Amino acid sequence: MIRITEEAWRVMVDHAQSHYPNECCGAMLGAVRSETPQPGGETIAVKEISRAIPLVNTYRGEQADRYEINPMDLLKTDKEARTVGLELIGIYHSHPDCDAYFSKTDLENSCPWYSFVVLSIQQGAFHHANCFLPNAEQTHAEPETLLIPTTKRA
Amino acid sequence: MAKVSIPTPLRQFTEQKDTVEYAGATVGEVLNGLTGQFSGLRQHLFNDEGKLRNFVNIYLNDEDIRYLEKTDTAVSDSDTITIIPSIAGGLN
Repeated sequence: MIRITEEAWRVMVDHAQSHYPNECCGAMLGAVRSETPQPGGETIAVKEISRAIPLVNTYRGEQADRYEINPMDLLKTDKEARTVGLELIGIYHSHPDCDAYFSKTDLENSCPWYSFVVLSIQQGAFHHANCFLPNAEQTHAEPETLLIPTTKRA
Repeated sequence: MAKVSIPTPLRQFTEQKDTVEYAGATVGEVLNGLTGQFSGLRQHLFNDEGKLRNFVNIYLNDEDIRYLEKTDTAVSDSDTITIIPSIAGGLN
């Protein structure tokens, strides 16, 4: 399960909407906590995202349907996370005028070390989002429960 | 010995160490030392054929080893090897 704080979520949505009609991408920093939702119940790991870092989409072609992250930007972000006591937990990107699915291209260029949040931006405004956990073979991505603050649709 | 910088998600396999040091003449030798000590790491870096997984980038200082001599790239004691995933995507 992944839960995004209001502050981080605002950064992600603003980033995605401001880059419309292109795809944006960024990193999600936070911490993994153990929580027991119901007294005496099962303890689960919750990834709490407290900070979102917009990254540059370095794809050299048409960015309306592609994104790419410079590995050195990711390295810098990973180091930055460590210095403030957070972990690099996930990656987000937007799908302009498309649903928030995990596409074949997303899957074939993914990494199983992170959670991947996809934001659907419809006509320039946030519409919905989903989260996925890809496998190491890049052949399948499991949906991951995503908890986001209530967002008004434009 | 060359330093190897471990990304956050893989530190669970290196006793939470973010940097480890290994002796080796090449990047491949250093990585073998790393995965020899921390066996749980191997499956995250290499596929069943022993090749680096598609999404794994290895940098020697600031250079991607794909553009050097790959795992045969020579290493000196002052070098830092960094493991960074490759991430991209698209609508289709």
